[in-house]
Amino acid sequence: MNEARAKVVKAKTKKVLNILITYCILIVVAFIFFFPCLWLILASFSKSGSIYSFDGFFPVEYGLDAFKTLFTDTVMYNYPQWFKNTLFIACMSCILGTVLTILTAYCMSRFRFKSRKAMMKTTLVLGMFPSFMGTIAVYLMMTQFNLINQHWGLILIYSAQAPMGYMVQKGFFDTIPYSIDEAARIDGASNFTVFVKFILPLSKPILVYTALTAFTWPWSDFILPKMLLIDRDYYTVAVGLMTLGETEFARFAAGSIFIAIPIIVLYFCLVKYMINGMAAGAVKE
Amino acid sequence: MANLSLKHIYKVYPNGAKAVNDFNMQISDKEFIVFVGPSGCGKSTTLRMIAGLEAITAGELKIGDTVVNGMEPKDRDIAMVFQNYALYPHMTIFENIAFGLRMRKIPDVKRDKDGKPVLDKNGNEIPVMRKYNKRELTEKVNEAAEILGITDYLKRKPKEMSGGQRQRVALGRAIVRQPKVMLLDEPLSNLDAKLRTQMRSEIVKLHKKLQTTFIYVTHDQVEAMTMGTRIVVMKDGFVKQIDTPKNLYKYPANKFVAGFIGTPQMNFFQGTLKKDGDSVIIDFKWSDAKITVPYSKLMKVKPQYLDGTKTVYIGFRAEDITLDEKAVKACNAKIKVRVSHSEELGTETLVYGDINMDGDGFEETSTRVIIKSAGFKDYQPDSVYEAALNIDAVHLFDIDTEENIMPRLPEYNYVDCTVNSGKVEFYGQSVALPPALNCADGLYEMLLPAEAVKPGGGIPAEIISTENINGKLLATLAVDGKKLFAVTGCLVDMQKLTQAADKKLNIAIDFKKVALRKDGKEVISPMPLVNGLNGTFAAEKSKENGNNITRYYLIINGTKAEAPEEIYKKMFAATSGRKVYNSAYRYEWTPYDIAVSENGIEAEVIETLDYGAEKFVKCAVGEQILFVKCDNALNGKIRLLPDAGKVSVVETERQIRIV
Amino acid sequence: MKAVAKCKNFFKGLPGKFRAVPGKLSARFAGAKEILTQGNGKVTASMLVMGLGQLLYKQWAKGIMYLFVQVAFIVYFILTGAYDLFGFFTLGLREGNAWYGIEGDNSVVMLIMGILAILIIIFYAAIYISNIKDVYRIQCAKDTLKNPVSFRQEAAALLDKSFHKTALALPVAGVCVFSIMPIVFMIFIAFTNYGGKVVPPALVSWVGLENFGKILTLGQFAPTFFKIFGWNMLWAVLSTAINYLAGLGLALLLNKACVKAKAIWRAFPILAYAIPGFITLLGFKFMFSYGGPINYYIKLAGGEAVGFLGLDAKWTARFIGLAVNAWISIPSTMLLATGILSNVNTDLYEAARVDGASAWKQFIKITLPYVLFATTPVLISQFIGNFNNFGIFYFLRGGLDMDGYFLASDTDLLINWLYRMSIDNNYYSIGAAISLIIFIITSIISLTVYVLSPSYKQEETFR
Repeated sequence: MNEARAKVVKAKTKKVLNILITYCILIVVAFIFFFPCLWLILASFSKSGSIYSFDGFFPVEYGLDAFKTLFTDTVMYNYPQWFKNTLFIACMSCILGTVLTILTAYCMSRFRFKSRKAMMKTTLVLGMFPSFMGTIAVYLMMTQFNLINQHWGLILIYSAQAPMGYMVQKGFFDTIPYSIDEAARIDGASNFTVFVKFILPLSKPILVYTALTAFTWPWSDFILPKMLLIDRDYYTVAVGLMTLGETEFARFAAGSIFIAIPIIVLYFCLVKYMINGMAAGAVKE
Repeated sequence: MANLSLKHIYKVYPNGAKAVNDFNMQISDKEFIVFVGPSGCGKSTTLRMIAGLEAITAGELKIGDTVVNGMEPKDRDIAMVFQNYALYPHMTIFENIAFGLRMRKIPDVKRDKDGKPVLDKNGNEIPVMRKYNKRELTEKVNEAAEILGITDYLKRKPKEMSGGQRQRVALGRAIVRQPKVMLLDEPLSNLDAKLRTQMRSEIVKLHKKLQTTFIYVTHDQVEAMTMGTRIVVMKDGFVKQIDTPKNLYKYPANKFVAGFIGTPQMNFFQGTLKKDGDSVIIDFKWSDAKITVPYSKLMKVKPQYLDGTKTVYIGFRAEDITLDEKAVKACNAKIKVRVSHSEELGTETLVYGDINMDGDGFEETSTRVIIKSAGFKDYQPDSVYEAALNIDAVHLFDIDTEENIMPRLPEYNYVDCTVNSGKVEFYGQSVALPPALNCADGLYEMLLPAEAVKPGGGIPAEIISTENINGKLLATLAVDGKKLFAVTGCLVDMQKLTQAADKKLNIAIDFKKVALRKDGKEVISPMPLVNGLNGTFAAEKSKENGNNITRYYLIINGTKAEAPEEIYKKMFAATSGRKVYNSAYRYEWTPYDIAVSENGIEAEVIETLDYGAEKFVKCAVGEQILFVKCDNALNGKIRLLPDAGKVSVVETERQIRIV
Repeated sequence: MKAVAKCKNFFKGLPGKFRAVPGKLSARFAGAKEILTQGNGKVTASMLVMGLGQLLYKQWAKGIMYLFVQVAFIVYFILTGAYDLFGFFTLGLREGNAWYGIEGDNSVVMLIMGILAILIIIFYAAIYISNIKDVYRIQCAKDTLKNPVSFRQEAAALLDKSFHKTALALPVAGVCVFSIMPIVFMIFIAFTNYGGKVVPPALVSWVGLENFGKILTLGQFAPTFFKIFGWNMLWAVLSTAINYLAGLGLALLLNKACVKAKAIWRAFPILAYAIPGFITLLGFKFMFSYGGPINYYIKLAGGEAVGFLGLDAKWTARFIGLAVNAWISIPSTMLLATGILSNVNTDLYEAARVDGASAWKQFIKITLPYVLFATTPVLISQFIGNFNNFGIFYFLRGGLDMDGYFLASDTDLLINWLYRMSIDNNYYSIGAAISLIIFIITSIISLTVYVLSPSYKQEETFR
């Protein structure tokens, strides 16, 4: 009797301990992930910009100077213009890239044509090339097409390369039962109708996922814009912020926050779709 | 509202695998056909070929009077219900049902704003195609919903509905278009057992109401038996049997069908049959069981299985074995069963046992036996009971081919006979042998096909019974008190057999179908009914009266025979590209469809066979041996002219029968 | 063990696959042979002049379109194509000289235009073949009394049966021009002497395998290459393993029944995920810099400022790199694992609990195999991504030159070296050769894993 009781008590302590440890770990994890962000936010409110005038992680004086200079002092660092540029490039590439990626994934999932396997293998192999090695060629091509220092050049490259990453989307389409297509075909729908009326409405999660990735890539990319954009006024935020030194740390932090916020908001709104889309795309059973 | 015709349908995948093999079936209007078989047997593939979701490799599929082989699914006027319902998840039930209508156009005449027909110059109405209007749509959807009792759910989405309701919606989507044929692909297998039973009867009801042809695929034999007017049992791409539920149950054509249809499964034992005078001893393997039954009950068994050496499968259904004491007392065919356990099912008890006293009764072996007995009877485990077998319901199968060796339509009569100077003596009769059956005097075994026994001739016979089986007539005759089977599909002969006065008539024997055996060796072979000739196919262009005309020829040994349109069209349909001109074919004719003529295929006569009324010439074309009907005895080289219209064609490479 | 056996079988099967090649080839050319031997005069007409056969068969629209393609191609070829193609082989004959006002050939542009010309020729050849196949198909249909597919039907099919042709046209074209062509260009560059002093207006020429020889044997490149390669492999394996396991662990932790307010806890990693990578990296660089907060506290405690990412901070810098990479990558793995874990059949866990399996056993026997199975492709791409992780050390340490390394530092990965050499220092051809080597390594690893993974084999079974 006693023994049984001891067992129950032991199990209970174990359970409590378990919960305690779990929460401890969670708090540590939360701290690790949150603290650098907090630091950046604090830094953006620093009165003097340089990293050398900090008490460790905390600025000596607080103020909104960094934000003010960010948007007013546009001679050297034209942040508002960069922001506009980035937004334009990211939105356009997002729209075009999503359309192309979704079309590719749909075809790969639903059609069995002769060169399908070959194409799938080719994209797989192409994905293994160090991506920016080709950028030299892209750069030279862009000079030939007169697209250097032009945002449309970047948009073209981003959206044209987007379909290479169609695998996740294909995985998602694979999970939509094929019998729905067949039922629709018997009902008299063409493949185009099937795509527009059935596949698209059913794949909201993956559409969101695709759009989001297609948006964030140009949003935070730096190699291509650094190479193709020459004039400071054409810079994207990523390239622009990289030119800031340690003495402009507060401005860097403020600029970072502005560029991070839209994405963070998007992610939090769409996290549910993200998880569904990613999981469905990855799981292949 | 249409009949279907499937002729030599094949599905061959590019890697050579055959999913469906030579599927032949005529489905008449308003039938409820069930395709049943284990998974991978080709039943779904066949259905999908009918639907147009899968291409037909070769063969001809007709819905109504149109060949639909290359047609799109939407143009075939069919509807299909899928196993996973395949409802459109993002549409309401109403939209789900209406979608098929929205995609379709209906013929109408041009109308003005008020709905009055607009007339053209000559005062005729102008025909146009238009979409359904809103009123018609709602009307049709509501009508379908009412039939299926889902009117209240029309505004819901599929995921808010239960499995049974979803299946109803799927049915509604199918019936709203009033298709010619309804195709159902395992529609109930995602439902739980109770719902399944309920939906089963609802689908049957629906069939009665709609008066449409239904084709239903399932792997569940209970569904098949309860719903189908006819059932197609398939396995590994082959059709195993097509028949009504009753006939499938009572007369399975092979062990597979016997085992597949009916629960609990048929008991299969192994054993030997030995004919001993007027009785047959059935000796069960791995058991002491041995029963003696009168030969009259096993008359139809092919005699080669009756010598006591060949092992056969012996099948009894659970209800054909009884432990009931009264029945056991009255029965002669008794075996000892050691009971291992029983399952109470309420109205009946399934008793498991073994006819081998060391068997455990749990494992499925050749000695395990399941017996259906009345409800709530106690049978002590491990005690031995006597069981009575209903020998009228025995099923016997070959151990290798698994074919029924006691077919409903017996193939042969096995008759011991004596040949004596050109006459054959059997059953107290003496019949003159035609010159073609030329053999030494002595004792023979005559394989007399049931189809070779015909009315009209010199042998007096008495009709014991007649039975109509699948369009053919089986007559059991007695000649000199000995039984003789006659089978005929010919209407005149059928009449003669059924309407004979005093049940007596004279019969004749068609000797060209007869084989004579001595010591197990065939001395005289029957004349083959089909001549196969290897050949190719070609087209030839010519100018006639200034017009370009193309003619198509079957080419055999360099000789051309012009193919009629019906034949070459079928050959074109069965092949892709120009393959038809590069493939090897086997052309088959009956001996009657090849004529001896002045021109044609060169052949070397081997001998002339004289069957009395008819003469045939046996000749060689290259290395192929041919039999051809002729009027006179022939010698040396002759030429043969086949009737191209009566050819049947087999493509050699894929082994596909085209015509 | 099973995986090893599978591996062996795969490689054992290889010779057989090669032996099957002649058979496959002859099967491939069977179609061509059939057309050549059985095609009629109209097929021959289309071989000579594209679209002529179609016109003779009275398929006007198709015939005119094919004819137009041929005319357009010939015009292109005469105007620039032939010159571009010629330039591809010579890479320029006349060197420019500003002093004398000679406008010379630009070898690199010529190479690009040459590749473009080859792409166009391949494209034209494909259309040419389709033209012959099309006319032969018409012949077949006529010969077997079937109705040949008309242009109208074919056009209508572009939205139905061959919708994939319509839908894929743009993506394929884009990928060809912006992904395949640059890579082809890079491959060709690896066989030239482009770079260093040889940049336009100097003329570039073909040098064969010289660059590869230089990397593997020459004093300047070889030691650096092998040192970096060793660290690169270690980095890829370590970082992939850390990110994967930690992400999975985090997902499991958040999946625990006792954790309340999961959404809030999950928000922190997602925050890290959402911030653009370059911001994080630059932030961390500031954090670990000499004047950064970490050193501030070290100094406050009486220590001396540590150059975490300085010149001689080999292993500290590497460790910081791993940690920062984990900070960036764990959240995405966590999200993925969360999604997948929600698909695991909970019955399995209940059964395991009844059987008395410990939490650890459950993880090893149920969770890990399932998640591994589901994420093999993702794991491969993560490995490749880490192998070619450019950003981490580019931002953290920038371009340092170190003793014993040629234009690289001890934390640099091959990709960083490649960037330094080709983009910062003009060693284009050597850079291209290195990227080819990287490609060969990564592709062998990932193709092997991919082909052996169940997700590849079962691709078709779901239908």
